[in-house]
Amino acid sequence: MNYRDPKLRDLLAGEYAMGLLPPRARARFERLMAGDAELQRLVADWQERLAPIDGTAPPLAPPRRIWRAVEQGTLQRSFPPLPKGSGRLHSLAFWRGFAGAAAAIALALMIYIAAGSGPVPAPTVLAVLADSAGTPAFIATRAERGEQVSVAPVRAQSLEAQKSFELWAIAGGPPKPLGLVSATPGNPLLVSASAVVTAGTVLAVSLEPEGGSPTGLPTGPVLFQGKVLAEAN
Amino acid sequence: MPTGGATDELQALMRGVVRRDRAAFAALYDRTAPQLFGIALRILRQREEAEDVLQEAFVAVWDRAASFDPERGSVMTWLVSVLRHRAIDRRRRRAHLEDRLGSEDDLLALTAGATDQADRGASLAALQKCLGELEPRPRRAVLLAYAYGYTHEELAKRLTTPIGTVKSWVRRSLERLKQCLDG
Repeated sequence: MNYRDPKLRDLLAGEYAMGLLPPRARARFERLMAGDAELQRLVADWQERLAPIDGTAPPLAPPRRIWRAVEQGTLQRSFPPLPKGSGRLHSLAFWRGFAGAAAAIALALMIYIAAGSGPVPAPTVLAVLADSAGTPAFIATRAERGEQVSVAPVRAQSLEAQKSFELWAIAGGPPKPLGLVSATPGNPLLVSASAVVTAGTVLAVSLEPEGGSPTGLPTGPVLFQGKVLAEAN
Repeated sequence: MPTGGATDELQALMRGVVRRDRAAFAALYDRTAPQLFGIALRILRQREEAEDVLQEAFVAVWDRAASFDPERGSVMTWLVSVLRHRAIDRRRRRAHLEDRLGSEDDLLALTAGATDQADRGASLAALQKCLGELEPRPRRAVLLAYAYGYTHEELAKRLTTPIGTVKSWVRRSLERLKQCLDG
């Protein structure tokens, strides 16, 4: 076929947008399209022309588990084993993405702790690490002017056998390992405040083989994360 | 007709997804998944398969978000394009042709009182008018193919017409639709 004939190109673009090209022809067309901006434009124009038909499909709310599966699938992809160079940016951008929701929760918790604490100096909440649904899972706190930051789960977290939770700090470079953090409250991980106390640093917990990542960089999915807030004094 | 507000909202959410903003991704899902699920169901007519396709499509949306170009078209149209080919592939994998053909009693309703979408590049009314100018059987072929994911072979069987004729119906209909919509 002569893929330079404008009429044929537009026709194929239309059939592609319709979904009518048989598999082999479609694969060929997609390869062609990848390097041909004008062909992409023709397809996009057809998609826009036909799009009103999409709105005639009666909408139906999908079951919630579909979203959970999407989250699961994308969370794991969002955190590749960070080889070198380009992968890092992708992953860092992701780590930061979450922080907004967690910040709101942290703020709420800070108020809660401040209100309930009476005369005893309240530890400052530095960060709340939430899961992908925004549910707080770990909390990082620091005593007033303390040298150490304490990181512990807010309630027992499920952790499969032969796995560990590992805590990481990310502040503009590769994640820094801070140690293994317990899945149950009452045994906090203590880390040096200087390692984490910078507003905007992201704290994250990844799932690792028992004993922690063998590479010094996260190898498993990031399950929880939160941004370190500007310290409220 | 597209309403600026809804389009802007989806565009903003999509920019968030490109920045790897999980909250934006969740909001985009909430806003668009029901319509996309409806589209997948219409093509697959089987809930479980439509669920699988919806899930795969949203994972692909996260992975390929950076390839979305707002200059080219609306967010919703892009999402549909990610979903539809997957749904059509799934449909084609069914072994028996007979399993793929439904009754499509509601086909005529497609060109009647359908709900207009907020985030649309073109208006349903204009497309309806142009579809109305086609001969009934070619129009039916176009709608069966686009809305229900029929292949040429299935159209031929369904409309009891030779496959060559069906192909040229669709081609001619596309030409006429383009003239009518762009002209």
